[in-house]
Amino acid sequence: MRTMHPTLLVGPADWDRSRMPLEEFQARLDALWRADTWAGGAIVYGDAAEHAALAYLTHFTPKLEPAIALLSPKSDAKLLVGGGINMIPAAKPLTWIGDLLPLRSAAKAVAEWSANLPGGGSLMLISGDAMPYAMHNEIVAALGLERAVKDGTPILRAQMRRKSPRELAAIRQASSMLGEAVAELRQSKDRGVTAAVLAAERVAWRRGAQDVRSLFSLDGGRTLLPFDVPIGAAVDPLQIYLAVRYSGYWAEGFAMLSAQSHAALIAAKAGLQAALAQVAPGVSAGALSAALATPFSPHPITNPKVIGIGLALQQDLPADEPVGVGEVLSLRAGISDPQQGSALVSTMVAVTETGRDILWSGP
Amino acid sequence: MTFDERLTEICRRLDTRGLDRVVGVHDGAHFIEKPDPVFMLTGFKSLGPCAAVLERDGGTTLVVTPAWDAVRAAQKRPSLRVVAADDVGDGLAGVLEGCVATGSVGLEAAPFGIAQRVAQLIPNAPPVDEIVFGAVHAKIDSEIANAREAVCIAELGYQHLLDIARPGISEDELAVELRWHSKTLGAEDNFVLLCASPHNRAVAPSHGRRLQAGDIIVVELTPSYRGQLVQICRTISVGEASETLRQKYALVAGAMHEGIAAAQPGRPMADVCRAINDVLEAEGYGEFCHPPHIRRRGHGLGFGSIEPGDVALDNQTALEPDMLFMIHPNQYLPETGYLLCGEPVLMTAQGAVPLTAQMATLAEIKL
Repeated sequence: MRTMHPTLLVGPADWDRSRMPLEEFQARLDALWRADTWAGGAIVYGDAAEHAALAYLTHFTPKLEPAIALLSPKSDAKLLVGGGINMIPAAKPLTWIGDLLPLRSAAKAVAEWSANLPGGGSLMLISGDAMPYAMHNEIVAALGLERAVKDGTPILRAQMRRKSPRELAAIRQASSMLGEAVAELRQSKDRGVTAAVLAAERVAWRRGAQDVRSLFSLDGGRTLLPFDVPIGAAVDPLQIYLAVRYSGYWAEGFAMLSAQSHAALIAAKAGLQAALAQVAPGVSAGALSAALATPFSPHPITNPKVIGIGLALQQDLPADEPVGVGEVLSLRAGISDPQQGSALVSTMVAVTETGRDILWSGP
Repeated sequence: MTFDERLTEICRRLDTRGLDRVVGVHDGAHFIEKPDPVFMLTGFKSLGPCAAVLERDGGTTLVVTPAWDAVRAAQKRPSLRVVAADDVGDGLAGVLEGCVATGSVGLEAAPFGIAQRVAQLIPNAPPVDEIVFGAVHAKIDSEIANAREAVCIAELGYQHLLDIARPGISEDELAVELRWHSKTLGAEDNFVLLCASPHNRAVAPSHGRRLQAGDIIVVELTPSYRGQLVQICRTISVGEASETLRQKYALVAGAMHEGIAAAQPGRPMADVCRAINDVLEAEGYGEFCHPPHIRRRGHGLGFGSIEPGDVALDNQTALEPDMLFMIHPNQYLPETGYLLCGEPVLMTAQGAVPLTAQMATLAEIKL
């Protein structure tokens, strides 16, 4: 889900080895090398907006400037961080990687690292599409033809779908914070839109959230708006989208808060229940999307209706692939109908051996 | 100058360059140092990747992703032609009709996945960032008004920081609270760069370290009000400040005042930097007036345009009325560590005028 991106990520992002120990990252790297046995190394890019892959492999959240991890099965990991040599002490607490270097002259640094890698093999470039155009071109040019460079993003993205128990614990915590924030929103709803949204955000922040994003509607759910200027008036229904991040992992939810129900809301909730009943290992995102359909016009905001969620706030899922145990999904039912009105509701579920575990469900 | 007058000026520059249109691209990741040509050309701050096409006759098309956000864009500026798209490249492809002389803006900084697609759509389009951003060295009336609001928010935020900063609270908790607090005052964003230690090497993003007595907090509070950023840079002693710290802070503040005095219409921005350096070099800190300790003495402000650029020795931009920028010595000194001291200034015919009601002084938190 797109929300207004903040200019600086300010929430807690230190690496806590008790929550996510080194062995967790080693297992992820081992799986990556197993998935591409020809790979001699990986160049992993991340910035404040797009860093799910980088965080998955290094725990590093680039709060300010971009970073590039240089990973190899045969040598120690390096992390190039933006902002110059004086920024390195501030970056150290955010990652398990001990060898941090300035990102300046990134192309030269990447080429030197590649040249000194032991053994042969190709290089995986992960999240290269998110790299600034100029940086991407410089790095590819600097690497030359010495090693083949291929896009490793799909390999890692597939690996990231299935969550480990530690990842699930973080998502549960994020979901719990989301639940408390939405509860606060219900309590504060009559204080005005901005006051209610900020009260909800504060609840999550005070619980230790790493990030909180919100969108709200002033037209009964037909459109959603980012925070722009304060809205003193209260509205009913109050349609809200909230996303809460904890320890790197996101939980998201659509909720429509109203003293009264209406046809669109009833139908959206019914669609959600129908889809929930089908969640189990082996079901496809396409089948779940079909179950979420209602007789009314679908809402453009809930397209796609089923997404993966974790370190990325939205991971699109192939419609025809079965979901597996350990995946976390957000199921979204949305209606925007000229006659019936609008409503957006959602639920977050973890796929389990026996079906599903509901992590968060709207009121 | 108004928004429409600025667009007219950009169109005039297009004409002079022999271009029929310019395509601006932005990824929707709003970073303080990354200019946003789409915001510049349309006044719209996007949620996702977006593009703007400005024709030489002034007609402007905005390509918005996600598609559902097009309603907001259309309401923001009814004169725009708004194209809703789920992929900015697809949306742009449907807009770029005809074979006309086209320039690009923002492509080099855009993510590769977007920029490559756009580059394919407008092959051989020269980068003409200077045409768009060169026309926006000075702020327009509404941006100046928004900057004044943002300054009020920044100063209230600073007061809030003084009220809540105590030993035991973490840098992260402070940064989060300050960002949240500024939203309650009407800011839609805030670049809160805050850290603390007894001897800071730089100002850096917050992390989990908890404040202790004897720390020096350095903070850049940078709220954005309706897309216009301003910043104040401040230094706070947790507990009573040492005499050395007081003296050195007075030195840095004095350097800032010299820099402000040097900011006069017609003079190059480099003179502001030089005036600050002169004060510090005279006290024997010449070594610390260059990287890695310092690379600039201020910078432009705004999500759209960051002109007139850095307060740096190599910036020869001539200062002119209605320019808005930061003057911050922000100096590392071996005796005290990094000290932050900076004000947003507005250029007038008489020189630079700080927008703050109270300029930086060393603050102390009584324990």
